[in-house]
Order: sequence, then structure tokens, then C-alpha cells
Amino acid sequence: MFSSFRIQRLPSSHPGIALAARLAAIVIALVVAGVGIALAGMNPFDLGARVITASFGSSFGMEDLGVLVIPLILTGLAVAVGQQVGAWNIGAEGQFYAGAFAASAVGLFVPGEGPLILILMFVAGLVGGAAWILIPTLARAYANVNELITTLLLNFVATLLVYYVATGPWRDRSGMANSATPPLSTSVPEFWGIVHWGFPIAIGLAILVGAALAFSRWGYEVRLVGSNPSAAKYAGIPVRKHLIMVMLLSGAIAGLAGMLEIAGTVHRLQGGISNNFGYLGIMVAVLARGSPIGVIFSGAFMALILNSGIVLQTQGLTTSVVLAITGFILFLTAIGDELSYYRITREKPEGAA
Amino acid sequence: MTEAEKSFTPPPGTAPIVQLKGIAKYFPGVIANEDVDLEVMPGEIHALLGENGAGKSTLMNILTGIYQADAGEIIIDGYRQEFASPVQAIAAGIGMVHQHFKLVQAFTVAENIHLGWDETPKRASKSVLESRTEDLAKRYNLATRPGATVSDLSTGEQQRVEILRVLARRARLLILDEPTAVLTPAEARELFRALRDFVAEGNAVIFISHKLDEVMEISDRVSILRGGRKIATRDTRNCNAHMLANLMVGREIVLADMRGRGPHAAPISKDPVLVLDDVCVASGTGGNALDQVNLKLHAGEILGIAGVAGNGQRELSQVLTGVKAASSGKVIVDGTHMKSANAKIFADFGIGHIPEDRLHSGLAPALSITTNAVMREYDQAPVSPHGIYNPRSATRLAREIAEAAEVMIPDYGMPVRNLSGGNQQRLVARREMRIADKVLVAAYPSRGLDVGAINTMLRYIVELRDAGAGVVLISEELEELLNLSDRIAVLYEGKVMGVVENDNLDIEEIGLLMGGRTKAGEVA
Ligand SMILES: Nc1ncnc2c1ncn2[C@@H]1O[C@H](COP(=O)(O)OP(=O)(O)OP(=O)(O)O)[C@@H](O)[C@H]1O
Ligand SMILES: [Mg+2]
Repeated sequence: MFSSFRIQRLPSSHPGIALAARLAAIVIALVVAGVGIALAGMNPFDLGARVITASFGSSFGMEDLGVLVIPLILTGLAVAVGQQVGAWNIGAEGQFYAGAFAASAVGLFVPGEGPLILILMFVAGLVGGAAWILIPTLARAYANVNELITTLLLNFVATLLVYYVATGPWRDRSGMANSATPPLSTSVPEFWGIVHWGFPIAIGLAILVGAALAFSRWGYEVRLVGSNPSAAKYAGIPVRKHLIMVMLLSGAIAGLAGMLEIAGTVHRLQGGISNNFGYLGIMVAVLARGSPIGVIFSGAFMALILNSGIVLQTQGLTTSVVLAITGFILFLTAIGDELSYYRITREKPEGAA
Repeated sequence: MTEAEKSFTPPPGTAPIVQLKGIAKYFPGVIANEDVDLEVMPGEIHALLGENGAGKSTLMNILTGIYQADAGEIIIDGYRQEFASPVQAIAAGIGMVHQHFKLVQAFTVAENIHLGWDETPKRASKSVLESRTEDLAKRYNLATRPGATVSDLSTGEQQRVEILRVLARRARLLILDEPTAVLTPAEARELFRALRDFVAEGNAVIFISHKLDEVMEISDRVSILRGGRKIATRDTRNCNAHMLANLMVGREIVLADMRGRGPHAAPISKDPVLVLDDVCVASGTGGNALDQVNLKLHAGEILGIAGVAGNGQRELSQVLTGVKAASSGKVIVDGTHMKSANAKIFADFGIGHIPEDRLHSGLAPALSITTNAVMREYDQAPVSPHGIYNPRSATRLAREIAEAAEVMIPDYGMPVRNLSGGNQQRLVARREMRIADKVLVAAYPSRGLDVGAINTMLRYIVELRDAGAGVVLISEELEELLNLSDRIAVLYEGKVMGVVENDNLDIEEIGLLMGGRTKAGEVA
């Protein structure tokens, strides 16, 4: 009498099992990466220890993480907010640049400094990001043009635009560096080491958006529009208005990420300033399964991985190896997510009680 | 009942095509199936009956590999089988057509037939696929238009494509989950003919339906589920509809004429609550889905809308509830001309709407039962006091609605699509009746409900009427209309062919009107 095994796909996954699957995925990825590193002739334990001391061993390491997490949470939040209303904003990268661009314009050309300028820059960042998603939004809302492609294409435009002004008309003519603007007149103040006030703003915004979605009439309506527009229409909810507002909000949040990056971290505008934060935001949102609160955690996780990557590079690993390891961890996490829907049961032999 | 002329009688000792033994399936808090035994013989049409939530769809989902049983076995031609997916089930000759079709709307019929099929030629041109489809359609006697896009097909045609898809993969057992709920009577007759041809070749059909007359007409044997357990299998010829209903529900059911009003019933109002004045609604294809419709609905009356489905019923219910604007003419609610469509204003005024396709427009299938149940009241106290949406109060309201609808729900947080088809319908109906102080527009409200639930539903509609609401009842069941309505309007190709008082009315006249003729014989 043998017992047999069955594999079942469950309609929903148990949260505990989903978490365990993720942890297992990370462990497996690290083991595989370790083996790879060992094959390349380096000591994986040694490297691992260094990554851990570099990230958590000093307040400098923690501060680096703190700065890195801000744009990741915000771009992740931007994508997650879009998902809530059923829109895939692949253009957080472009909106990030647009927000950075608009805020820099204020910081460079509006005379004066201090809180007033900072507020202006803040608003410019939001408006810049929203403006950058305006056309894809209207195209989706009025002509049902898929936002996936339109938002993606505008990324290239924004990247090139910032590169152009930073190396051309807005170039810093005083200094040696000719691929960046002069320093901005105003910055976001720091509140802990090099970590600026963008940190609490990012976390606060994620919580605020999460709470608004869960506990307001607006949030209810947005969820309904995102899940089934025909049902929302049937219930008399203005589908188009919500779609437009939420997509603009998504763009504004990504624009804010760009503003905080230039005004808080880099202090000037330069090409390539986004470091792919917009694209990483897509992964952050997917890892969080579209939950605004979840974005805080997946953003932190992503920051840790990226930071480890930076540490590894200083230890002589090439960028591509680091990227491969990063991608591998994310890939396995996604597989772990899917596997958490399955259950293996052992069937009792015939006649057993 | 009607004896099949050509029938297939398996020689004695033939193994059943499918045998289920001791099947059980548990969902959190629900016993969907337990200890179910079922045998389906070659050549038979086997009906599966049971109340809403009895476990019919679940059992068939197990047989086709969508779910896996928690206990029991599936035996096919004498061999034990396990299906991890529908692909394996169809490879073993078991195919299913679901209550909600799974065709790709943007593809042609031929493409849908060949999608995900291992016999599809590797590099096939459009015309090859279409001629292959043509051949299949001929072989199985299911008329289709291979080149047409699925979204342009009527419901009946789409169903034929679904069936053809299954038969093309050499199914020997065809499972149909409430196939006739969405068909016109003529389409249903055509379907039955195709089914008889199919089983005459030694194949078998499992047929789920709530329409007992149909079951009596088409099936050879019937099995009845109650509370997840099979309680009986009978030869249909030894049964009658009344008996089956009793077996299913476990109590006596009386369908009655409900036009009689009690002493406390509200009288029919003098002024109408809802008026359509020369209303046209443009259809997607350039014509008019509704053509100069004039209707008056009074408080305290039930206005029946008869007609074959697809003659403008959907647009009529949408225009009456503010989901769609009239392209010309006036919609007048309680004396006010509504210039634009806004379903919220209509709902706030007290107009409830049971839509014809609950899954598409009445519910958000992926969202929780709570979210769906409060769809009409989420913006008021107690769910949203001071504009703050309170999930706990929402669940309390959802529970209230579910209890009134007599739906057992183990977890209000689970997606509403996990409910059985009939239970979704009950929930939507109760949700709408709660807000229907003035008007209820009910499109096919009894679709997918079991006999007991239909009875309850119709009684509630009568209670609404007695409380002074006006009811528009859109239905294909003439009997239902005759039992309930005060007046009956007949819809044909978007036009109201006539409105007749429902006393001593001439059924023949209604039939003629439904076909687009008037008594004098002229064609509209
Ligand atoms: N995926 C699921 N998760 C949780 N519960 C489920 C799921 N699928 C079905 N159920 C429950 O199992 C029970 C049986 O449902 P099923 O759909 O089989 O009923 P049915 O007999 O087809 O009813 P109907 O006539 O209303 O279609 C119901 O209580 C239903 O809520
Ligand atoms: Mg069902």
C-alpha cells in the first residue's frame, strides 16, 4: 500500500505560505549567487559579511539605504496607484525626469531661496510628473489607447530632454563638470545624517494613499473602477474622472520622486539622474502586489539589494554580475509567489481512517 | 416525454464512460461536495439538478480538472484517472462548456476553434483554418460562420462555437453548465437536436439546468445534489417536474398567480413614476437598438416586457436606470426630465436595477463579497459615516443583505466569483431591492436561480409592488410574466409592438407580437 501525492492549485494563497515562499526564494537565490561567486574564485562568505557590515554595520551604511529607499518607495507607489485604477504606468521613469526637470527649473531660475522656493520646487515636481502622464492619460480615457506603450515611449523623450538641458543650455559653465547644471539654490533639509526629509514624506505618502484607498468613498470607487469599469458605470461612478485623476496622481508621485532626488540627494540636475528608479518602481509595485503599504517594504527590500550591489562592485565584481544576481533574486521571488498557490497533499491509502 | 427517435442503447455490461466514486471537495467553511457517486453511460443525457450552491458546478469542475478532489476517484472506461488541468481532461475525452463563455472576443470563430489545440496545423493560413472549421461544423451539425469575429455573434452562436471547440477535440462526454439560461427557445431547441445527435453515436452529455421542463424533455436520467451530496438518481421517464422540485428542495413548492393584491397593497398611482417618451438608443452598428419607445410605468404596478432576448432589452433596462443616455426622446423620472444619464442619480432617487449580465456589469468578480454587496450604499451611513468608509460596517451591511438573500457565506472577504452562479444572482437581487423604493428594473431576475429561489424572488417582487414601487420585469418566461404583470409590453427589434392588459389576454397575440407581427397580419 503506497500513498500517492497530488499537486493542487489553490484559488488563493495563504499569506504565511506566500511569505515563506518569498524567504525561500531569497535564500535559494543567495545560495546560487554564492556558488557562482565561489566559482569565479572569490569567497562568498567573505563578500556576504562585507555586504552586511557595509549596510548595517555603520550609520553610514544605514544612511545610504535611507537615501536609496526614498525614490524606490515613491516610484513603486506611483505604479501601485496606477494599478489600483487598472492602469499600467510604465512611465514612472519619464515622470521622474519630468519632475526633476521642473523642480530644477525653479531651483535654478527663480530668484531667492528658503522654504518658499522649496515649496515651489515641490509643487513643480508634482506638476511636472503629472504633466508628463497627461497625454497618455487623456488618450486612455477618451480614445482607449493602451497606456502601456504611450507611457513607455515618453520615458525616452524625458531622458533625452534632461540630458540635453544638463549638457546644453543649463550646463554649469563655471565648473569643470560640463554634464550637469550648477547646484540648486535650495535643498531639502536633512534630518538624520545624509537622509533628508524625503524619507518621512515617502513613507507618509504611502500610508496616506493606502489609507485613502481602504477607508474612503473615493478609495472604494477607485477600486471598483480598477476592477470592473462596467460595474462602476452601472453603479453611477464616474469612471473616466477617476481614471484621469488617479493616473495624474500616479505621475505626480513619480515626479515628486524626481524632485526629492535632485533637491535632497544630488542637488543638481544631470543626465542619467534617475538610475532606472522608474523601472525599478515597477518591480517594487509588483513585489508589493499593488499594495501601497506593501510598497514601503518591497521598496526597502529593493534598496537593500541595490545597496548590496554597490558594495559588491567596490569588491571587484562587475556591474553585470551584480545585475544578474539582483535579477535572479527578483525572478525567484516571482516564482515563489506563484508556487505559494500550490499545495501538495498526501493521500491516505485506501481503507485508512 | 418526447422519445428520442434514434437512440443508442449500450449492450448490457458496458462500462460507464465516466464513473465518480466518493468525490469530496471542501472550501474553507463550505462542503461543496461530499461522498458523491455518479455514473454516466454511453448514449445517455444525464441531467444534474440541485439548488443554488448545491455543488453542481464544483463537481463538474473536478471532473474536468479545474479543481482537484479532496477525496474520491474518477474512473474513465474502467481506469482511474487524475486530471491536473482541463487539457488532460479533454485528452481523456471530457469537455465542458461553462456558464460564462471563455472565447476570445476579438478572434474569429475559426481562430477560437483552433486555439491551443494540438491538431492545429503548424503553419496554417486563415483560409485553411476557416475551411477546417467549416468541415467540423458540418460534421457535428452546428452551424457557424468561421470567418466572423466572436464579439459579433449572438449568445446562441457563441455557445455553438464553444460546443464545437469541445467536440472537435473528440470529446465523448460533453458537460453543459446551464446552457439554456441564455438561449432563446428556438436556440434551445436547436441545441437539443445537436445533443441528441451527439449521444446517438454512443457519446454522453451531462446537462445542468434549473429548468425542470427542459430536464424532463431532454434527459434520460437525472441525478440530484443537495448540500453537496447526491441524494438520488432516477430514470427521467419515471419522474415529473413536481417530483424533481420536491427532491431538490426537500419541500413543497407552489407556483401561483400572484396578480392578486392584498387589502393593504398600495393602489396603482395615477401619475406615472417613470416615462419613456419617444426614446431612441443608437446601437453600436449604426441602427437603433431602441426605436421610438413610449412606455409609462406607474407606482404599484408590474409592467412585464416580453420578447425574444436581444431585441433591445439590454438597452431598455440601461436607459430606464440611467446607465445609458437616450440618443433622442425623453426619460422622465417622477415628472423630471433627465437630461443626461447618471446611474447614481437614478439610484439615489430609488431606482434599483438587476442587470442581465450580473458578472459583467452587476459585480466586480475579483473584489470581495463585502465590496460587491455594498455597491449601492457605500457612500452613505452606516457604511461611510462622515465620508469615511468603514470596512467593518460594510461587512455588517453585507451580512444583512446575504441573510435576506438566504446565501450562506463563510468569508465575506473572499472574491464574489467564488460564490455559486445562483447565489451571486440572489445577492445582486437583494442589493437592488433594498434601494428600489420607487422603481425596480429587473432583467431576467430568475436566471440561474433554482425553483425555490425563483419563488422567493417573485414573492419579493410582488411585495415591492404592494409597497408602492413600480416594477419593470423583463423576462423570456411567458408564464412568469403572465403570473406577475399587470400589463405586458412586447419588444421586437427595438420597438414596442404593443402594450396589453393582462386579463383574459390572448397568448397567441403576444406570440405574434414577439415575432414582429400584429393580429391583422401585417409585418412591422
Ligand atoms: N473557489 C471557491 N472558493 C470558495 N468557495 C467556493 C468556491 N467555488 C465554489 N464555492 C462554494 O461551493 C458551494 C457550491 O458551489 P457551486 O458553484 O458548485 O454550486 P452550484 O450547484 O453550481 O450552484 P448554482 O446553481 O447557483 O450555480 C457554494 O457554497 C460556493 O460558494
Ligand atoms: Mg453553478
